[in-house]
Amino acid sequence: MIRAENIHFTYPNGFQALKGLSFHIKAGEFVAVIGQNGAGKTTLLKLLNGLLKPTAGRILIGGLDTARARVAELARKVGFLFQNPDHQIFLPTVREELAFGPKNLGLKGAVLEDRVKDAAAAVGLTPYLDFNPRQLSKGQRQRVALASVLAMQPEVLVLDEPTTGQDYREALEIMRLVKKLHQQGHTVLLVSHDMEMVARFAGRALVLGEGQLLLDGPVATVFAREDVLAATGLVPPQVIQLARPYQEQGLLRPVLTVEELYAEIIAALRGEVDARQVLPA
Amino acid sequence: MPGKSFLHKLNPLTKVVWSLAVITLAFVYQQPLPILSLWASVLAVALIGKVLREILPAIRGLIIFAAIFFLFQVFLIDEGQVVFTLVPGTGIGRITDVGLKACTMLALRMLAMTSTIPVLLATTPPKDMIVAFVEKLKVPYVYALMLVTSLRFIPTLQEELSLVIQAQRARAYDLEGRNIIKRFLALIPLALPLLLMSVQRARTMAISMETRAFGAGPRTSLHTSTFQLLDIGVISSCLLLTAVLAVVSLH
Repeated sequence: MIRAENIHFTYPNGFQALKGLSFHIKAGEFVAVIGQNGAGKTTLLKLLNGLLKPTAGRILIGGLDTARARVAELARKVGFLFQNPDHQIFLPTVREELAFGPKNLGLKGAVLEDRVKDAAAAVGLTPYLDFNPRQLSKGQRQRVALASVLAMQPEVLVLDEPTTGQDYREALEIMRLVKKLHQQGHTVLLVSHDMEMVARFAGRALVLGEGQLLLDGPVATVFAREDVLAATGLVPPQVIQLARPYQEQGLLRPVLTVEELYAEIIAALRGEVDARQVLPA
Repeated sequence: MPGKSFLHKLNPLTKVVWSLAVITLAFVYQQPLPILSLWASVLAVALIGKVLREILPAIRGLIIFAAIFFLFQVFLIDEGQVVFTLVPGTGIGRITDVGLKACTMLALRMLAMTSTIPVLLATTPPKDMIVAFVEKLKVPYVYALMLVTSLRFIPTLQEELSLVIQAQRARAYDLEGRNIIKRFLALIPLALPLLLMSVQRARTMAISMETRAFGAGPRTSLHTSTFQLLDIGVISSCLLLTAVLAVVSLH
């Protein structure tokens, strides 16, 4: 689906954001891009939908070279959700806001209405279609932005820190939505600083540091390399750190989330999974 | 921007005086060549102040603006000998020698006058500018602050605009290839988010200033604005030079 071949990117001011990345993401994967600020994460995402063009190397999205395709053309394939929904919301109702993208693709009439309805339903905004998006909460506005991207029915979803500035519940809601979309067949690329969310939802992680790809592999494998993560200022989720010594002693199996650790501990203590009912929750 | 050159060390008002002197001379001169040298002198000052490279993008913008200004004006003047016609054989797009000279003057004059502003901004911290205006010129603090804050927000707005453009382009929004009216309407998806965010930002800023007791009483400032010997020297030579050049050119 997405193939990056030795891509470099240098900003006009001379800052080398990316220094030779290569990777291949298959259709239907859920990939997290992690790394400290300035590691090149956002630059990488912007290369994926053609907002920026690689200064060397190339990126193919479903066979389409991003350097040759127009952004409007790529927008059909790659949906991009930005950090701040307020950068895009400008229409007086949620309905019109959701219709903006598909209209740009030339859709009209019943097809357009269906797209809007489906997108609103997918993020649970159907009751709010006639509201002014500016009056909704930040989390709801982020869902408006997500739905406005979904309405274009892209195969790939690119999310740039979609949970910043939201409380835990709102963030979890957005991530659950993204998970649902992933299960429906979207390929998902997520930039996030929230390692717990990455461990919980992503299947694979790309670790960037100073414009280079430091690690690429399944989330569990990536979070086991604390040395490399530390080099780019990342710390694995606390639950993984907590479980590591026991895991190394062979007492627990590898875990990624608190729920998994809980199940493992119960099983280890009592030798059976059902024992959780005996202990206070 | 700590004092890198003598320009940085000057009192902000001294630089304003220099700027006014340049403006005065730009109006006094009626020939392209002296104005061109006036503009060159502004750039020379920037070079000595080690900010020429820094202000080059702004100068480039001003040149483009002056060129547009020139193009708009040059076709409107009928007097004098026709030197060039856009569509030969008709009166459409006629350029005369008088028009050419007048418009060159206008463009150069505008360039010389406006080029001092980036030099001023690049060598003066906004805070010093406020202090100088409030203490020496007795400008009410609120007005000085408003002016400086709006200047300060230009780069932020530029950054924000580029994010808005990217967000809308990601929704297949196309900026190119439309007629003028459509292109004008096409600005709405860009202008509206920017405007709404600016209003939001202004409100947040007002609240954050009020929570820090803005307007509660007389203000004091950590650094006061002083005129040094260098300032007095620069101001008097600016005034003297302007007077001399003005008298010479008017004769």
